[in-house]
Amino acid sequence: MASHGIPRVSGTSVDRSEQAKEKERRQIEQYNALETDVVERIKAKDYSGATLQATSNLLSQNPEYYTIWNHRRLVLQDAIVKELRSEQDSTKQAEVEDADITAAQKAGLTVPQQEIALLLKEDLRFLIPLLKQYPKCYWIWNHRSWLLATATKHLPAPSAVELWQGEMGLVTKMLALDSRNFHGWGYRRTAVAALEGLGGKSLVEPEFEYTTKMIRANLSNFSAWHNRGQLIPRLLAERQASSEDRSKLFDGEFELITTALYTDPYDQSLWFYHQYLMSTLDPGNKHSVSILEPCTNGNRLQYLEQEIDSIREMLDGAEDCKYIYQALLEYSRRYLEVDGGNKKVTTVDMKGWLEELRKIDPLREGRWKDLESKMKL
Amino acid sequence: MSLAAGPGRGGGGAQGQLPEELQLVVEKHVAYIQSLDTRREELEYHLTEHLRISGIYWGLTALHLLGHPDALPREGVLDFVFICLHENGGFSPAPGHDPHMLYTLSAVQILAMVDGFGELEKKVPDGKTKVARYIASLQRANGTFAGDEWGETDTRFMYGALNALSLLGLLPQQQPDQPPMIDIPAAMAHVKACQNFDGGFGSEPGAESHSGQVFTCCGALSIAGEIDSYLGEAGKDRLGAWLSERQLPSGGLNGRPEKLVDVCYSWWVMSSMAMIDRLHWIDKGKLTAFILQCQDADEGGLADRPGDMVDVFHTVFGIAGLSLLGHPGLVEVDAA
Repeated sequence: MASHGIPRVSGTSVDRSEQAKEKERRQIEQYNALETDVVERIKAKDYSGATLQATSNLLSQNPEYYTIWNHRRLVLQDAIVKELRSEQDSTKQAEVEDADITAAQKAGLTVPQQEIALLLKEDLRFLIPLLKQYPKCYWIWNHRSWLLATATKHLPAPSAVELWQGEMGLVTKMLALDSRNFHGWGYRRTAVAALEGLGGKSLVEPEFEYTTKMIRANLSNFSAWHNRGQLIPRLLAERQASSEDRSKLFDGEFELITTALYTDPYDQSLWFYHQYLMSTLDPGNKHSVSILEPCTNGNRLQYLEQEIDSIREMLDGAEDCKYIYQALLEYSRRYLEVDGGNKKVTTVDMKGWLEELRKIDPLREGRWKDLESKMKL
Repeated sequence: MSLAAGPGRGGGGAQGQLPEELQLVVEKHVAYIQSLDTRREELEYHLTEHLRISGIYWGLTALHLLGHPDALPREGVLDFVFICLHENGGFSPAPGHDPHMLYTLSAVQILAMVDGFGELEKKVPDGKTKVARYIASLQRANGTFAGDEWGETDTRFMYGALNALSLLGLLPQQQPDQPPMIDIPAAMAHVKACQNFDGGFGSEPGAESHSGQVFTCCGALSIAGEIDSYLGEAGKDRLGAWLSERQLPSGGLNGRPEKLVDVCYSWWVMSSMAMIDRLHWIDKGKLTAFILQCQDADEGGLADRPGDMVDVFHTVFGIAGLSLLGHPGLVEVDAA
């Protein structure tokens, strides 16, 4: 989103003293001077280490200044090209120190590769404090992605793998600080895909385990539940799960979420995951995935009945919980669509639930009115 | 145009008291927007130069909605837009910055608003086509769009591309006897792949649903003319349900479950609701009251929530939200 440059500081009063104004004037001067320096260097195609440092100073003050990240990448690209060219250059070869050659050999790299790796690692290190300070800055995550993509391009697979594993460690730390940071989750998906590509091995099991860990640490972990749901289809496919295995997993997930819901039926994350599980039974949803295979109308009725019963019991002690009524109405509607009969739920039941819902949740009255006519209540 | 925050704060005037009858303080907002470009003695003015042209777009849009389209001098605005135009047809947010899809969109939106395409063509022969070519060059094989040559892809850029091209009149459907400049089917396939089981959309396939992405994806589908056929009534119900849950007891809207309210979601969420004919699934009265509470009645401008510092970004999206809600005295806004 474009609102990044705007701080959300509330409660501060603006100091309009001459002293404060003078201080700000100097800050602006210094900032503009720094900016001018970088821009002139780049214009002159000065891709030296000093220029790199100048971009570091400027970006530390303003990581949203994306053009400077572009300039920084030009400097890095130039250094990389020079390293790659030096292999062909015999005079440059003669200058390389024995210590460097040994170190490179030890790491399974050529000397230029070693230099490139060091350069990129240095940049990754530079980003860490910035990322901690601005964890939602697109440009910082982008630069990180670029560094890793560049490393993957120029370095042998084992080195790239090592770097990507480092990224997994970083992302795990970032998500521990803020589990809802979608930049982090997106980057994690990228890292997993990269590692799978480089190593040839699937990471779906450890990633699934990671969501289990996150949920155990905090049940109300919306993004972890989301990712868990995303992983399940692949998990089952890779396990070459039989019909029975699939049922077992499905039932296990229901047990997990139901236990959680009984402790806190007011928690949106939990209802979200429950909805996910129920969506796998809904043929009308283009974006639902299959867990049960085959999934017959018999299966659908079985689970709809089971869940309607289970959710009805949650009402005890939580009569003011809108999510319970919403779930009962939604699954009743689907139940009637599958079966058409009135065995499990009566019109009286549904009318009653809708009435309660309208009392508890007047904000969404427009929606409940539409629901009433759609369900012919 | 400064994107500096403050000095006003949402939630009332100097006394911190809310006015008894919540009103939209139009003149204050106009004055606030007009003052933004004069704040060059603030560091933040300089720190937000990378958004400058978008800031102008936000300010100008707010002024148009408030019925004061001429409060910013047209010539000054056009001059600035043209110095942001690059050789490759892209626009940067300010002179000296690199071109990017986001700022190309803002530039095109400004030109559309001030009727400046004629001046563009005069300045640069075949200017519109040049800009369109820059935009088209950013489409990737999987249908989505990058922001610039450095490769970040996001549905925000896809929406930007479709919106800008539609304003330029150069979408494939707008010139059916010309070869298409972009691959709409691929773009649509990508948008659809970003939808989740809960009806919402994420920034890429597999990503969590987020109101901002719902807006960009619905906007893309709308502009391509596919929103009704793709969603159908069931799909609109499902997405509408997800969007309606964004309204919290304060009357304000959040961006996704268990997050804080923010006045800018008055636009991202409500315009999406408008696109799927479900505006009535949100309590309009309470949302209106919330948005009005985000104003600074003394200094003008709106903040993300009552008590925070105002800025031009939240100002325009709060006002746009009010326009969608039919607030009296505001010009009508187009949801997509």
